[in-house]
Amino acid sequence: MKIGLEVHVALPTKTKLFCSCKTYVEEPNTSICPICMGMPGSKPKLNKEALKIGLSVSEALHCKIKSRIGFVRKVYFYPDLPKSYQISQLYDPVGYNGYVDLGSKRINIRRVQLEEDPARIYREDDYTLLDFNRSGTPLLEIVTEPDIQSEEELRGFYAELRSILYYLGIDIDKEMKADLNISLSDSRVEIKNVTGIKNLVDAARYEIKRQSALIEKGEEPRVETRSYLPERMTTERTREKETDEEYGYIFEPDLTFYSTTNVEKIEPVYASAIAKEYAEKYGASEKTLLELIAYDRNAMELLETSAHRHGMQSIISALETLKKFKVQMDPEKFEKVIALVEANAALDAERINIIAKGGEVKIGKGISEKEIEEDIEKFIAKNPGIVEEANRNPKSINAIVGKVAKETGANAKVVAELVSKRLGIKP
Amino acid sequence: MISRSIEEFIKAQPGKEYYVKLAEELAKLNKELNAFNNINGSLSSGYPLSVKDNICVKGMETTASSKVLSGYIPPFNATAVERLSAKGFGVIGKTNMDEFGFGSFGLNSESPARNPFDKSRVAGGSSSGAAIATSIIENHVALAESTGGSIAAPASFCGVVGFTPTYGVVSRYGLIDYGNSLDKIGVMGRSAARVRYTFDIIKGRDRYDATCVDLPAGSERKQASKKLFVIRNLLEHVDESIKKSFEKTLSKLSGMGFEIEEGELKELDSAIAVYYIIAMAEASTNLAKYTGFKYGGKVDDFSKEYNEFFTEAREKFGKEAKRRVVLGTYIRSASVRDKYYYKALQIRRLIGEKISELARKGSIILPTMPMLPPKIEDAGKMNPLQAYMVDILTVPANLTGLPHVSFPADYIDGLPVGAQIIGAPYEDYAILDLVGKWEEDFSYKFAYNLGSL
Repeated sequence: MKIGLEVHVALPTKTKLFCSCKTYVEEPNTSICPICMGMPGSKPKLNKEALKIGLSVSEALHCKIKSRIGFVRKVYFYPDLPKSYQISQLYDPVGYNGYVDLGSKRINIRRVQLEEDPARIYREDDYTLLDFNRSGTPLLEIVTEPDIQSEEELRGFYAELRSILYYLGIDIDKEMKADLNISLSDSRVEIKNVTGIKNLVDAARYEIKRQSALIEKGEEPRVETRSYLPERMTTERTREKETDEEYGYIFEPDLTFYSTTNVEKIEPVYASAIAKEYAEKYGASEKTLLELIAYDRNAMELLETSAHRHGMQSIISALETLKKFKVQMDPEKFEKVIALVEANAALDAERINIIAKGGEVKIGKGISEKEIEEDIEKFIAKNPGIVEEANRNPKSINAIVGKVAKETGANAKVVAELVSKRLGIKP
Repeated sequence: MISRSIEEFIKAQPGKEYYVKLAEELAKLNKELNAFNNINGSLSSGYPLSVKDNICVKGMETTASSKVLSGYIPPFNATAVERLSAKGFGVIGKTNMDEFGFGSFGLNSESPARNPFDKSRVAGGSSSGAAIATSIIENHVALAESTGGSIAAPASFCGVVGFTPTYGVVSRYGLIDYGNSLDKIGVMGRSAARVRYTFDIIKGRDRYDATCVDLPAGSERKQASKKLFVIRNLLEHVDESIKKSFEKTLSKLSGMGFEIEEGELKELDSAIAVYYIIAMAEASTNLAKYTGFKYGGKVDDFSKEYNEFFTEAREKFGKEAKRRVVLGTYIRSASVRDKYYYKALQIRRLIGEKISELARKGSIILPTMPMLPPKIEDAGKMNPLQAYMVDILTVPANLTGLPHVSFPADYIDGLPVGAQIIGAPYEDYAILDLVGKWEEDFSYKFAYNLGSL
């Protein structure tokens, strides 16, 4: 099985790729000009910020970068395409021949290219509307080699890519669209415009099943373009014509070649490598660490600044707390959260928010595990039936946990662990 | 200041009744311009300006002589127009042309152009109207545009100075594209001095055109090259009468102290083929945007499938435009792209190196056109290949982006004969200086002198 991806990412520039119109404007057709409308006589001019981000992504994906990049015209007729050609890249893209490493598996990157987004189409029953605000928005297309060989690798690659893009300043909550190429035999099937990882995996799973069934019957899947239907979790053949479309590429003669040598690039951050490093160094779970820092710049900073001063388990608990309450803070304030963790003190939203706003919370004298255990014993002594109850229904321990945590002001998670230990049940 | 009657006049054919009307309008216009210039403190700051119909003027219909674009009113000025307007030039109208610049005779238009010296003959193209206006209006300059010879050819046939700058020195912003890597906005006028004055204002970097650059510092002071090369192998394609006249021009120049030498550039034999391949490939992408629903000639029936819809809109293209869309699309197709398009790009580079090498040793001098302006009916009978071959002398400089200027060098049977000087890249002022020197001892003739101050 061979899977290749073409991922389209919208770039976080303030203006469009070839004009000064603002990007991501809501009110339809208000952020347009002769250039992004393709008016006769207008000419494109390159947004250097988009070039910088494109080159930064290429570098982060270990791509080769030529000393100069250039653009092409990709010609096709569609109502959303004002010039009837899209300015894209082919021969001199921002990057080529790169890779993403997933542990021991390497997914090769064929090409990274800049291109302009067409207008947005709204299809209604008996009419169609076009919003040219999107026309000319910078996109980056990242094309992999067909190196992905399992659902797990598909997930892994997508997560790793998103994390790298996140740390380069790309808004990964914006729609990331991908074209999925899947071949179980010699025929390449392309599934166009799949949005999000869930749909991507579901589409791949369905397509693998579909193609396997055909092959088992002794049939060869046809080379075709399909689209994914999320509501039915199936793919279907696209009506429009397909198979190696003729785009009649020529060099874009309105743009010159752009030197890449003096472009300052954004430093990449590989959260997965950092998670691995810290896990090995401090004996923590790599997976847990990665979950905390993969898409969270603040958590990454707090981890890096506190690791040499505190136990990794305390840091992880503190970071999990911030994540749970969706709170960000600087390293100095984070020290106070860690102090709460280390004192087994309660970590509720109110206290965390007070810290984030620069306030002080009382840790008290701190509560030792021994003191909490004593309190648990007292509670059991008063409620002897609870032991049997807890064995029948493990959820009933929440009553003890709540009570003890409230009385002692201790961290509920710590209390829960100790209660479970005492009663011999799994938390 | 914009006069509808002048606009109509220049787009339509010169006839006696129009001249009278035009003279009246121009007298009015000159008065207005004088008033404007007085306010701005300089009497000579601007000329009445005509603008080729493929260069956008804000608020003025701009169609590149194509029905596909009828009714297109650009919401912006071309950079060249913008810069001239700021200096007090008033736009008197849009000038007729071959549709999208596709033609060498001015005949691929709703109103085919006629030569002011002999109305049975062609005016040359594609900037036919610009040359006619310059030839009949005294106090005026024209903004024109050349892809493969569209300034030099009509300038030569109509007996005016037609200057095409080095590619990229004048911003193309606001130019309705033909072949973007070949298109140059230039100037026509009745003297090298007027052309130079206008070029001074429009040249130089523009943030709206990525391919636009400044001339190197000190370019304005460049003098004419003392040495002039004639490319011998190109003269093989020239009519005898033109050759004889050209010999006269050469001996006159030599009498003025210029050193004439012969050179040969065999590489130029493929220039016409290379030029048309690149021009058509680019043109076919530029014409793709005319789908009939955002600007220009619109299609009313929105119930059709998009493919049928834009096909209907594109029926409005003229025959030559259709031919170039079909050929250009073929040239770009995956199966032959390497063989034609890429090969042509490589040969263009090679030709550019060779011709620049020669031009750096001394400017190149050639007749502008290989023939006298043909009769309209004869030009109409030519097949496309014969018509394309008429560009044999203008394509080399245009293909390689070298500056060149055509100027009246002789008259045969009352018809003007142009010669052209081709300079090395960015030697724009040097070739204009040469024409200025030529004018010291040669008087141009004009068919009419309308609107004199």
